This record gives sequence, structure tokens and C-alpha cells, in this order.
Amino acid sequence: MSRARFRRTRRAGAVTLASALTLTALAACGTSSSDDGDGDNGSGNSAKADPAAPLDPKTKVSITIDCMPPAAKAAELKQWNEDVKEFNKTYPNVTVKGRSTPGQCLEPPRFTAMLKAKSQPDVFYTYFTDLPQVLDNDGAQDITAYVNDKSVPLLKDIDPDVLGSLKKDGKLYGLPTSNYRMGLLINRKLFKEAGLDPDAPPKTWDDVRTAAKKIADLGDGVSGFGEYSAANTGGWHFTAQMYSLGGDVVDASGKKAAFNSDIGKQVAENIHAMRWDDDSMGKTQLLKWGDLQKQIATDKLGMFLAAPDDVTYMVQQLGAKYDNFGMGPIPGGENTLAGGNNYMIKQGISADKVKAAVAWLNFKFTTVGKGQYDWKRHKADDLPVGLPQPNLWLNGSKTKDDAARKEFATMPVENFKAFTDNPVPGKAEPPKAQEIYKVLDNVMSGILTNKDADIDKLLTTAESQVNQVLATQ
Amino acid sequence: MSTRTLISPAQLARPRGKRLYWVCFAVVVVLFTLAFLGPLYWMVSSGLKTTQEAVQTPPTWVPGSVHPDNYQRAWEVMDLAKLLLNTLYYAFGALAFQLVFDVAAAYSLSKLRPVLGKVILGLMLATLMIPATVLVVPQYLTALDMPIVQRNLLNSPWAIWLPSVTNAFNIFLLKRFFDSIPKELLDAASMDGAGPLRVLWSIVLPVSRPILGVVSIFAVVGVWKDFLWPMLVLPDPSKQTLAVGIYSLATSVPENVLIASLTIASLPTLILFLVFQRNIMSGLTAGGLKG
Amino acid sequence: MSAPTLTKDPAVKDRRPRRPRAGAPHLTDGGFGKSLRRNLTAHGFLIGAVICFAFFSWYPIVREFLLAFQKTEDGDVSWVGWDNFVTVWNDPAFGQAWRNTLWFTVLALLLGFVVPFVTALVINEFRHGQGYLRLLVYLPVMLPPTASVLLFKYLYDPGYGMFNEVLGVFGVPAQQWLQDPDTAMLSVVVASTWMNMGGATLIYLAALQGVPGELYEAAELDGAGLLRKVWHVTVPQTRLILLLMLLMQIIATMQVFIEPFLLTGGAGPEGSTTTVVYLIYQYAFNFNNYGAAAALGLLLLVLLAGFSAAYTRFNRDEQD
Repeated sequence: MSRARFRRTRRAGAVTLASALTLTALAACGTSSSDDGDGDNGSGNSAKADPAAPLDPKTKVSITIDCMPPAAKAAELKQWNEDVKEFNKTYPNVTVKGRSTPGQCLEPPRFTAMLKAKSQPDVFYTYFTDLPQVLDNDGAQDITAYVNDKSVPLLKDIDPDVLGSLKKDGKLYGLPTSNYRMGLLINRKLFKEAGLDPDAPPKTWDDVRTAAKKIADLGDGVSGFGEYSAANTGGWHFTAQMYSLGGDVVDASGKKAAFNSDIGKQVAENIHAMRWDDDSMGKTQLLKWGDLQKQIATDKLGMFLAAPDDVTYMVQQLGAKYDNFGMGPIPGGENTLAGGNNYMIKQGISADKVKAAVAWLNFKFTTVGKGQYDWKRHKADDLPVGLPQPNLWLNGSKTKDDAARKEFATMPVENFKAFTDNPVPGKAEPPKAQEIYKVLDNVMSGILTNKDADIDKLLTTAESQVNQVLATQ
Repeated sequence: MSTRTLISPAQLARPRGKRLYWVCFAVVVVLFTLAFLGPLYWMVSSGLKTTQEAVQTPPTWVPGSVHPDNYQRAWEVMDLAKLLLNTLYYAFGALAFQLVFDVAAAYSLSKLRPVLGKVILGLMLATLMIPATVLVVPQYLTALDMPIVQRNLLNSPWAIWLPSVTNAFNIFLLKRFFDSIPKELLDAASMDGAGPLRVLWSIVLPVSRPILGVVSIFAVVGVWKDFLWPMLVLPDPSKQTLAVGIYSLATSVPENVLIASLTIASLPTLILFLVFQRNIMSGLTAGGLKG
Repeated sequence: MSAPTLTKDPAVKDRRPRRPRAGAPHLTDGGFGKSLRRNLTAHGFLIGAVICFAFFSWYPIVREFLLAFQKTEDGDVSWVGWDNFVTVWNDPAFGQAWRNTLWFTVLALLLGFVVPFVTALVINEFRHGQGYLRLLVYLPVMLPPTASVLLFKYLYDPGYGMFNEVLGVFGVPAQQWLQDPDTAMLSVVVASTWMNMGGATLIYLAALQGVPGELYEAAELDGAGLLRKVWHVTVPQTRLILLLMLLMQIIATMQVFIEPFLLTGGAGPEGSTTTVVYLIYQYAFNFNNYGAAAALGLLLLVLLAGFSAAYTRFNRDEQD
């Protein structure tokens, strides 16, 4: 009872607040148009309310932000602190309070809890796929009005596909920090040992199978190809493999599962054959993100599907050497799963905070030559430079950024030539991605742990579960 | 030890019996040592290996080269100091709450016997029959938005402390102990004009030291070992407990560093146990079990 | 020992409440005002615990029932009758989860109940080294469970794990342990038993000290062998503790979460370690479907309540 009433009052409050905001916004519009004629004087008040206006340097603002690099990523943390300092030269009134996460910045169950608790910081890190969930929980603000070519000067050069994943009904809810298109990451050392050409990674799944067999034949606990099967990452990669063969996991209507198809069976049978007929996928299964990286970093794994920035992770946290890795386009090559990360801004924080947040995000993540695109500094700090992604850019920004990447490359860029020279069209993740991935984990783990797995049954079971997930929109 | 057990002393005294006894004894000691210290040895030694060696097939029994710096790396990278402090904070806070509320409740139910006391005790004990994980969903929703007070407890230590009070087993243990305190003792004090609080403080508590010890151990160990609840209600990584923190970090460090961190995480309670083992064991057997 | 007052036979104490109550007469000799004040004080002592119970035990139990018949969408709650139960029932994982839970319970009782008892019996026979053995058995209880579980995951690894290496010494072929649907659950139970058996073992050891030696002597005069002595003397003499522990073990088994969650990611190979509790977790925290989670929880609750009732009844019959 009290709960229901409470909700209603809260909602009523929100409505009043919203209408009040609209009114002020309208008022602001009204005044700002007259401001143009008036010049500078007396516009202080309206500037505060106008989302498009820059942050008033006199207002002291502090913003909290998560996913600051943890102590383990010493170099990235150092850069973060340097960037905050430099940012404060332009914006001495803004305090950036970073929170670091020692592990992965985002784990779905923890993220869900955070949204429910509304305990996200002012600026919070999400995957592209999280937007619906965030909006369901009323977690993020519409920042369309705050993001323009003044606050984010390179806006026009950001890949519209990337921005598209942060929009709903034409409204923008976040700023991207990185994007990826999945490819085939290989261990060059093992390729050479197995007599394979590390500069020509396998292009089809049949080639993958042959190569995996050769690498696994090296013995000593080495496996040729690796796949995940737990913590939603199994389903994520099953989806990627479906895409690579031109398949889909959810049909066009968004209401029905589409993986119980010939392509789905082909994917499943291929994995099953590699695991059981060839024994080229290793004995340890039920792996999740992080496990395959550990294997390939210790030369126990020949190849797996990954985003290019996994290399950074392996070099920095697992102590691997980056010239040991190379990358080719996703086998099959029809489509590749494209995703990425971004920051959103918490619903309900003040306009000044939003402005400060946009300014910081722009400085750190969407400025060529600065922040995360300061390749010269990356090189000095011994971080990998020369990876093809993240790369948000188009047009002039792309030319400029690519040139800098080449100039300061710390790793043999040609190791990634096969990947960059053969771009595969990106395909976004399905709706309710994390839920579907959870279900598809079971398909993966079934194939990888049971020699006698009944593929039809696994797919049919998963299909009915996914249909149920999609039905409860 | 003079108590007569399963096997008769006469049988043991015979030469054949004696020999058999020693053989069995040796086998059991070796077996138990392997079964219980073996994994721990593997943990400590694998933490000293290089990353390569830690995931090598077949594994090595003795580290080829010793790298104690793995331990240092684990300590820094996983921020174990903070996780440890967090856990201590939650554990001792929960202990304080339980000592105050549960002792008071048990005392009231045992000695003051209010109207409806039996019903309340029954309702409390009934919760013992319900697996905690079944109630995790409604409990979680309650912590999200506390009825009446309209508070969100997520990420606050209250989310650990308050639910820890609902430990019916501890209340039951305390009440049974209090029941065994002779009534005459308390009556004498009441005659002297002491109020219930005074009686509790200066008569009941002093004689209850052993059971308080047991309850304290249960309280602290309970928080120390809990996993699902703190994982749900403390989503902020900087507020996590050791058990949850290690889990979230497991994938982001090399295997040898992870194993080293497991060793470090095990040390505090192991040391505590080895130092206080006599008290802990006698407390457990005496209190939990016979009373 | 520091707690002599505690070592009373519980059976004797249970009969005692027949005596006149300390509380009852007081009500009459002080008059209404005094009794009211006494009651207020007593409830004052209770209030802290009662509030906590109300918020975190009693209310959630009620809420569990409500949630099971509700659906929450965008913060709007609506009543949906038995829909959640239908959803849960139609989930292909439903049957499997129950079979797994049952299988887990059986295994956990075989290992988790029998092993500590036998261990206690063995340790109790020794005239030497008892302290050392008890220490060993109890050691894992003090480790944070995450540490033990992740350690076991490392030991179970089919490639670089210690277990296959040890078995190899005895010529046993390498096992897949957690990777194989047939052995995954067993592996989980073994890890769980290793972690938790210390407490039960110590309890049994304490109980064994209370078995009168004369009974063994009498049994020997009747010509009983070792096993018959255990069955006819030890077990009946420790029956009360054994039954209590059995109940606790079953309830603990139903709650098991961290072991499968960390060892096999919860679901396990082909869903072979998906337990009912894991399914509840998955509904609630992966699929945000609190209604289905509550419906499934309610089914488990009803089953356990039935079990507890049967147990209490059986226990009472035994005592009469």
C-alpha cells in the first residue's frame, strides 16, 4: 500500500519537475534568442539554464565517474591523473572524482544491482547494449541538448553507427569511449611453431579448424581455438559466430529467436567437431571473458575471437608481449559483431554537472591527439600503439588519428594488416542482449562439455527460452 | 584419555591389535595430512610459480623458480588491504549488533517472559526452516526500498548489519544458555532492587562468557564467509567484502597472482584459528553441540 | 573445559518446562500496573531483534508470496494470478533443476553426512594425535569460501590441475571433473564437503564422548562385531544429534550457491549443476523477472516446509 502510494507521489513529483524544467527551458530559449541581439550583458542566468551554453567558469562543480583505471593498470591510471590535471587548467572549477574497479568495469549482475539501487556515479560506464536496461530503470539523462559542435567539436567525425547505438527515439544518452569489431586474434609464436603463416590468419571456419588442429598437435596442453561458455560471454561469441556466417539470433521483428536454423546448427556442429573430433579446443571449458586471454598470453592458445583492444589488456595486466599477437578478420566474413563502451550521465543531476561531465568526456575520450588518443604519450608510457581499434573516427579526424597511430606505433602494425585490410560489415548486438547471451551460454557449454551433445535439442531449448525472454519486454 | 570407545582396550593391548592400531594411525594421519594440507600446499607453492609454470601441463610439484613478488603484486593489484578492512568492518559491526540485539532478545525471552514471547520465539525459530537463498529476492527488494522508512540500503554497511541480527540459531543458543542460569541467582539480585538491565549486565553476562564466545565466532565467521548477499547489496567495488572482491577480480590477473591472492586472503582467519584454536574448538563443541 | 553448565542432556531439559513457570505467578502478585510495566520492559529488550526480523525475515516471507503472483513492469505492479508459475513450469530448465537439486542432496548426504560421521568415529578411536587430526579437519572451515572454491577450480583443471596429477601417480586416467556433465555435480559436492565437513565432524566427536563405554562392553559380551557395535550402540546413542544434523544438512544443501556458481559458472556443463537456487538467482538477477524467481522460491519453500513438518512429526512420534 504505502509502497504504491509512494511510487505515485514520486512519479507526480517527477512530472512536476519535468514540466518545470520544460518551462525553464522554454524560457531560456526565449531569452537566449534575444540574447543574440543583446550581447553578453545580463545573460548569466539564462546561460545556466541553457544546455547548449558552455559551463559557467564561476560555478564550482564536482562529478563522480566510474571505471577509472585501477592501480593494476598503472600506466593508464597515470594518464588519467595527468589528464585530470590538464583538464583542470581549462576547467579549474570542475573536480573529477574517479572511482576505480579493479576487475572488469562492468559485470551484468552488479550493473543491474547498481541501476536498481540508483547508486551509479554521476557519469557511469556501460556497454552499447545496456541502453534499454538503463532507460527501463530511468537511469540516464537525455543529453542531446548538451552535446553539440561546441561541447564536442569532433561530433561530426564520430562514426554515426557508434552514436546510433547510444540513441533512442532520436535522443542521445551517452558518449562513446571505445568501439570494436570482432576479429580473429592469433598467437603468432604458436602459428610459426605449427608451420602456419602468422601473416595470413584463417579466413573461413574450415581454415580455422585445420589450423586449430595443427596448433593443438604441438601438444603440451596447447589448444588451437578457444571459446567461452559461461557468464554470458559464451552466448556473446555464439552470436558473433552466427553473424560471421550471415545469420542472426533474433529475427527482424525483435520478438522471435532466429538461431535455431541451418546456420545455427552449422556453428554448433563446427565447434563440436573441433572440440571432440579434433580435440583442438582444450579440455578446460566453462570459460568466461579473461580466461582465454590468460591462455593466449601464456602461449597455451592459438586463436580466439576477440576485439583488438584485448591486446592492451593482455600486455598490461597479464604481462604478455604485444608483438606476439596478430589479427585477422572474423572467419566467414559475412558480418561481424560490433559493440563498444560508453559513458552515460545519471538521471537527475544538475545541468552544470552534465556540462562538466560532457566537457570531461570530450577531453578524455573524443578528442584526436588528447586523452586516450594521445598516442605519443601512450608510446612513452609503454602502452600498445598501433591497434586498429578503438577507432571512432571518420573523415579528417580519421586521417589525422591514423597517421598518429602509425607514427608512434609501438608494435608491428602489419600484424593487424589482415584485419584492417579486410573490413567486415559491423552488426549490432541483439535486443535484450545480456539475457539472450545467458541462455546461449548453455548451448556453448553443452557442445563443449558433452561429446554426445544433442545439438538440435540444445538449440530448441534455447529457442524457447529466448522467445520467453523476448516476450517479457 | 580414559573413556572407553568402540574398540575394546583389551583388543588393543594384544600385540596384533597394537600393530594394527599403529598402522591404521599412520595411514589416517598421512591421508588426512594429504587431503587437508595438500591443497593448501598447492596453493602456497603455485602462488610462487611464474605465470607460465602455474598453467603448465603437467603441473610441477615444486616451483622451478621462486617468485615471492607474486604475493606483493596480488596485494597491490587486487587492493587486498581495502577488501580486508571492509570485511573486518562489516564483520565486527555485525558482531556488535548481534551481541546487543540478540542477547537482549534472548534474555527477554528466557527471563522476562513477556506476553506473546513464545509466539515471537516461535516465529523466529520458524525462519530457521527457510533457506536464506530462497528469500534472497524479497530481501533484496526490501533492502532496495525499505518499507515505512523508505530507505535504500544498498552499498551501505546497514545492509549487512541489520539482516545479520536475524540469526535465530544464535538467539536459540543464547536463550537455552540463559534458561540454565539458576533462577535463584537472579531473584537474589532483584531483591536487592536491581532492574532487568542491571541483572543482565552484572549477573547474566558474566556467567555467559563461553556462549557469548561461541555466538561471536558464529557472527564473525558468518559475515566473513557470506557471498551471495554481499555480492548483491554491495555492488560498489570499493565497498566489497574480501570474498566477493576476489571473485570479481579473478579474471583480471594472471593465474599465479590469483592463487597468491587466495593465499593472502586465507591467512588472517587461518592465523586467528591457529592462535585461538583451543578456545574456538572447545567453544564450538561445548556450546553448539551439547546445549 | 570452560563451559560445564552447558553439558546437560538436552532430552532431560526438554521435559522440564512442565514445572510451574517463573513468569506466570508474577502476573498475579503484582497487579495489573506492575505486570504492564514488566511486559513493557521485556518487549523493550526484544524490540531491536523483532524489528530486524520484521524487516529482513518476516516481511520478505510475506512478500515472497505476493511477488509470486505479481508482475513488475516499469515500476507498475499488477496481479497476474498463476502466470509466473506457468512461466516457471514451462521453462525447459525447470525439471532439470529439480533433478539436479535432488541429486545434489543425495550426494551431499552421502558425502557430507556420512563422511564427517565416519571421520569422527575414526578420530575418536585414536589415543594419539587427536588434536592434530581435529585441527586438520577444521582448517578449511576457516578459509573464506571464495578462496577454497577458486582453489578447487584450479586443482580440478584437467590440464594443469593437481588432482589429475595425483591420480596419475596411482595410474588412474585423467578425469574431466567439472567439465563433464557426469562428474560435474560430484566434483562440486566433493569441494563442498572438503570445505564444510569440519564443523559436523567436531560436533559428532563431542557427541561420541557422551556414549557410555559400558554399552560397548555389553555389546561385546553379546558377541557384536565392529559394525554391529556402531549400528546398535553408537548410532542410537547419538541419534538426537544425528537427526538434528541431518535436518541442518538438508537445509544447507538446498541453499548451496557459491560452489556451483564459482566452479561451473552456475549452470555447469549442459546445465548439469543448475540447481533450483541458481535458477532463482538467474531469474531475478539475470532476467530481472522477480515474479518467476518468487514463484520458484515459493515451490521450494513449500517442499521444505512439508519436509520440516514431516520431520517434526516423525521426531515427536519417536519421542512418545
